[in-house]
Amino acid sequence: MLRHVLQRLLLAVPVLLGVLLVGFLLMQVVPNDPAVVRAGPTATQDVIEGIRRDLGLDRPLWLQFALYLGRLARGDLGVSIINNMPVLEELGNTIGPTLELMLASLAWSVPLGIGLGTVGACWRGGLLDRAIMMVSVAGVSVPVFLLGLGLVWLLGFTFPVLPFSGRAGPLWTLEGLAGIILPALTLGGVFVGPVARMTRSAVLDVLGADHVRTARAKGLSETAVVLHHALRNALIPVVTLIGLQIGFLLGGAVVVESIFSWPGIGRLAVGAILSSDAPMAQGTIIILSVGFILVNLAVDVLYAVLDPRIREASGP
Amino acid sequence: MSETIALTPEAAPHADFAVARRPSLLRALLRDPLGAAALAVVLLVVLAALLAPWIAPGDPYGGDLANTLKAPGEAGLLGTDGQGRDMITRLLFGLRTTLGMGISAVVIGCGLGGLAGFAAAYYPAASGVVMRLMDVLLSFPAILFGLALTAIVGPGLRAVVIALSVATVPLMARVVRGAALVVLRQDYIEGARALGMSDARILTRYVLLNCLSPIFVFVTLRFGQVILLGATLSFIGLGAQPPTPELGAMAADGRNFLFFAPHVAVLPSLVIFVIVLAFNVLGDSLRDALDPRLRR
Repeated sequence: MLRHVLQRLLLAVPVLLGVLLVGFLLMQVVPNDPAVVRAGPTATQDVIEGIRRDLGLDRPLWLQFALYLGRLARGDLGVSIINNMPVLEELGNTIGPTLELMLASLAWSVPLGIGLGTVGACWRGGLLDRAIMMVSVAGVSVPVFLLGLGLVWLLGFTFPVLPFSGRAGPLWTLEGLAGIILPALTLGGVFVGPVARMTRSAVLDVLGADHVRTARAKGLSETAVVLHHALRNALIPVVTLIGLQIGFLLGGAVVVESIFSWPGIGRLAVGAILSSDAPMAQGTIIILSVGFILVNLAVDVLYAVLDPRIREASGP
Repeated sequence: MSETIALTPEAAPHADFAVARRPSLLRALLRDPLGAAALAVVLLVVLAALLAPWIAPGDPYGGDLANTLKAPGEAGLLGTDGQGRDMITRLLFGLRTTLGMGISAVVIGCGLGGLAGFAAAYYPAASGVVMRLMDVLLSFPAILFGLALTAIVGPGLRAVVIALSVATVPLMARVVRGAALVVLRQDYIEGARALGMSDARILTRYVLLNCLSPIFVFVTLRFGQVILLGATLSFIGLGAQPPTPELGAMAADGRNFLFFAPHVAVLPSLVIFVIVLAFNVLGDSLRDALDPRLRR
């Protein structure tokens, strides 16, 4: 297993470098010259040249990339053009709310999706199964903004029971908890369908397996067969697939943050791009990409931990 | 018919595809009520988009400021938006933009992905490099490509089409490679090679034709996803820019009037929902019709 993990780690290194290179090149192609922007509108050509030298912009591109990697290693992601805040600090402020939103969405959508998928697989072809599959196809087809705007209209305006703008406070306060309900309902709402589909298909695969037939033959109740023998084995691919769908969830988070003015990293990224704040846009994109590489790595490792076949196959 | 099938390696796949499979595909699709309904919706939507300039009752750009935010029925069948523009007209032209964006991204992404997939299947030496590259692309979500590209080329439909194409390439490459590997193991490929056919001819005449089923299913399903992603990027402001009529951008515009004129945001969102749902149901139904073994 260690070899499997090491192999994955080694594969992640060139990808990480590629992402950083793209992030670096992003700064080269944006229309705003960082030296001009930093010097301000009244600066003379000499001042701009001086800043250019200070920033290392007069050096060859490969050296600039190396210097840039060095700065990244020290946590220096530059300063926002718009509000002069260090990019790293802004990222630190927004990453928490985004994780909070994603976790709150997963917390209700994954159990519900797994439950629906299992029920569908057990009564395969029945009315309930078809209804569940219909709802889940609708779930993967609905634009997240339709769901979000619908919820805002229904529970924020027509029956004003829940707040729908901004993050009122941390989750352990009543205001914070109330504030996350609508965003988490929206984001989780588009996740239930895919989870239900994946679970149904995985449980169906396992229900046809030999060990399930054996379990039935020795007289176990259907509930025990499904819960202890089918679902447990089906969860391995489901967990992996859920991990790989985190990207899908993050895509939704960007929109949900924009609808509910949730102060997360997605909203920060979109705002930075729309206001041509290149350092901030670069920082958010790099952090999100690195986040993905890490999530994929974690899923790979988790898969090996969960599935003894991989653990055995790749040696100790 | 049966005499011709065995004669040349060339006849077999053609006869199979043209004579046996195609008529039954449409029939199988129409026998499934959901699939038939989805196909009808797709055809209707495409027709509406094509005919928009002729059937739209108004001007998609020019509004009547004395008639803003009229509810459906008050002015025109579906009301007006915040600038007094007729909603039906905007929806029809929006459909055009959204479908155009989807078609461009799917054609570019599936074209490049298909080439990569066939190359990886046909030339084992290239397979490792190509497929690792695809794995890397696959590990990033489409929305991230959208963010990165809009940061580089600026918000707009061009960035969205490039981003969605890039996100489609690795998915298509995997589907095509998988399907092509199965076909390449068939005896008639060996026969064609023995006859001295060129690689390009084998790929286009045999491999491509016999991979059409999975490609067809993938493209249908992917089209729905691309529409959804593209509209989403437009909704957050990174795609189509006002005043371009695009369904996602129209929904975003309608957010400002959600509480007193919900139709401005809801109608374009519903249209997107219906299109994506139709493509998803059609894709599932196609898969069942083409490969009954997968039916569950």
